[in-house]
Amino acid sequence: MKKWLGKVIAVGLACTVLLAGCGQSSGSESGGSEGDGIKIGVLFSDSGVTAMGEKGLKNATLMAIEEINADGGVKGQQLIPVYEDYASDPSMAATKAKKLLLQDNVTAIVGGYTSASRQAMLPIIEQNDGVLVYPMSYEGEEYSKNIMYVGPVPNQGLEQFIPWLTENKGKKFFLIGSDYVFPVQVNKQVKELLKLNGGEVVGEDYVPMGQSEFASIVNKIKEAQPDVIFSVLVAESAAAFYKQYDNYGLSPDTMPIASVVTNETDLSAMGGEVGEGHISALPYFQTVDTPENKEFVTNYHAKYGEGPIDTLMQSAYYSTYLLADALEKAEDINDAGQLIGAFAGLEIMAPEGEVTVDPENNHVKLNFRIGVANKDAQFDIIEESEAPAPEPWSKLLFPDHEEPWKK
Amino acid sequence: MNIAQQIADGISVSGILLLIALGLGITFGVMKVINMAHGELIMIGAYTSYVISTLADLPFIVAMAAAFVVTAIVGALMEVLIIRRLYGRPLETLLATFGISIILQQLVRIIFGPAGKSVSNPFNGALNIGSVYIPYLRLFIVGFAIMLVLITAYVLFRTKFGMLVRTVSQNRSMSDCLGINTPRIDMLTFAFGAGLTGIAGAVLAPLKNVAPTMGMDYLIDSFMTVVLGGVGSLLGTSLGSIVMGEANQLLTVFGGETGAKIIVFLLVIIVIRYKPEGLFKIERR
Repeated sequence: MKKWLGKVIAVGLACTVLLAGCGQSSGSESGGSEGDGIKIGVLFSDSGVTAMGEKGLKNATLMAIEEINADGGVKGQQLIPVYEDYASDPSMAATKAKKLLLQDNVTAIVGGYTSASRQAMLPIIEQNDGVLVYPMSYEGEEYSKNIMYVGPVPNQGLEQFIPWLTENKGKKFFLIGSDYVFPVQVNKQVKELLKLNGGEVVGEDYVPMGQSEFASIVNKIKEAQPDVIFSVLVAESAAAFYKQYDNYGLSPDTMPIASVVTNETDLSAMGGEVGEGHISALPYFQTVDTPENKEFVTNYHAKYGEGPIDTLMQSAYYSTYLLADALEKAEDINDAGQLIGAFAGLEIMAPEGEVTVDPENNHVKLNFRIGVANKDAQFDIIEESEAPAPEPWSKLLFPDHEEPWKK
Repeated sequence: MNIAQQIADGISVSGILLLIALGLGITFGVMKVINMAHGELIMIGAYTSYVISTLADLPFIVAMAAAFVVTAIVGALMEVLIIRRLYGRPLETLLATFGISIILQQLVRIIFGPAGKSVSNPFNGALNIGSVYIPYLRLFIVGFAIMLVLITAYVLFRTKFGMLVRTVSQNRSMSDCLGINTPRIDMLTFAFGAGLTGIAGAVLAPLKNVAPTMGMDYLIDSFMTVVLGGVGSLLGTSLGSIVMGEANQLLTVFGGETGAKIIVFLLVIIVIRYKPEGLFKIERR
């Protein structure tokens, strides 16, 4: 028995050394040509709970870097991506961010997914005066002079969507969401907007992360008879909820599910027939009809295979382009203040259309679209306009909040 | 609130719990293996169902059969390669199977990608009795769970294989002395439990989500059902799932989703404190 155990340990050690070797070689491969390139940290997860969403962001970021390099790079230099996997663990994200900044000396990091991962990185980025480009939509109420928030904050999706819903679908809303900070914050603004638009909340419920049993909620929804179900269910719960809604014979004709998170990836997880007829409001859909988007979709599919492309992946893609523009514009790219300053006012033609960086608050002005899901797990776009300016602290909820970027 | 509907839904939730806990009732209940990869066996069953019914477009029943075979093979391999070497060492088993669960998750993620997959519903429509509305799919799950319990009971108590399984689980060294090939029985028992778990995954795929991380959500519920009902008792697992399912469903009326979970967990803690052998363990000796 002892002998056998020894063998196992030996094999285990050998594996560890091998794996470590792999990690090392891939690391040095990307950081090989030092001196004649600008290092960019790319920080997402290949494993763990949120790998489901992060994989696409990683792919899109790396693709953008490749395209920028093929176009001649930035200031005549190539961008060198240094990829790190933080395995869906916020504390690991902080460790890896530190490693990227101090050991690899990257100029900026593109990465982060959950708010937890961003908040874990924030003190590290600030202490070491780095730059983080964060491509996700998030709940707002944060500002750091070292972070570029490229995704939408809740007011950008809701300010136009809620009035549209009350006008076209009805006034009675049932709010559901996963039980953590983002859905709760989104629904707070939804409630305020409903008050302004003569809507009413007939029910509100939150389920633990990862829950996939919705019999009881569907029951409550049937009792409450809302005109609109407003869902901020994320990840795996979303697909399970839409499926069981369908199981119980509810129909999007009378009671559609409206969402600011459900995207193409979720639709393909639940199947086209289940999602058909439900409504989402997002900055980008795969079906957006611009030449930039056609090129993006074609290139992405050619590189990574057919599969749904969603707004988050698109966001990671143009985030990287924004970063390249800022690097081009900044005089001293190693000065975090200058680099972040260079973002202000930048304009870019993203796949979703024109995107501008708000000159004041490190957030971004995006597009606004309403899409109705169809049988092919894609969205038919029925409304398109410019999104309102980002309000990290919603003016509705915090009319007198002192804006930290004005200090 | 429509209480009749809540009770009906409670039954369907009980059916789901029974389905996911039945395999564990064998591997944990009978064999005493703490299998942390139990959820991943459910996931493998669900992915098999995705491959057969969505990709290959074959009937759902084929998917169920395939899920049993595939997960039984995975279970047999797990038993032969790892678990067999750790009998009588629960702590090491726990760590090793936790490792297996991560390996299986990542393997599926590499093969199928990290995004969720869809399996379409083979039983559209619903049964309507007065104000109570039960989708055929859920009805099927309950019926199927009961059928699986009966089959399992038959295998365990009416066949020679079942007798050997019980013999080995009660006294391994004595069975060895009597010339029973215990390693072979262990492997088959574990494979049988794994196969049952795989079928559960296949049947739940159209109702729930299919993703690499899905198994984690089922793991805790399965263990709680088995422990609450009484470890090692098939009847206990069945009754345990009814108690858990109904309690959870009825409590959501008052406590909301998160609240109901908390109250159910508290109830289980209290039960284990005062009845550590579980609610329905029948003492024999």
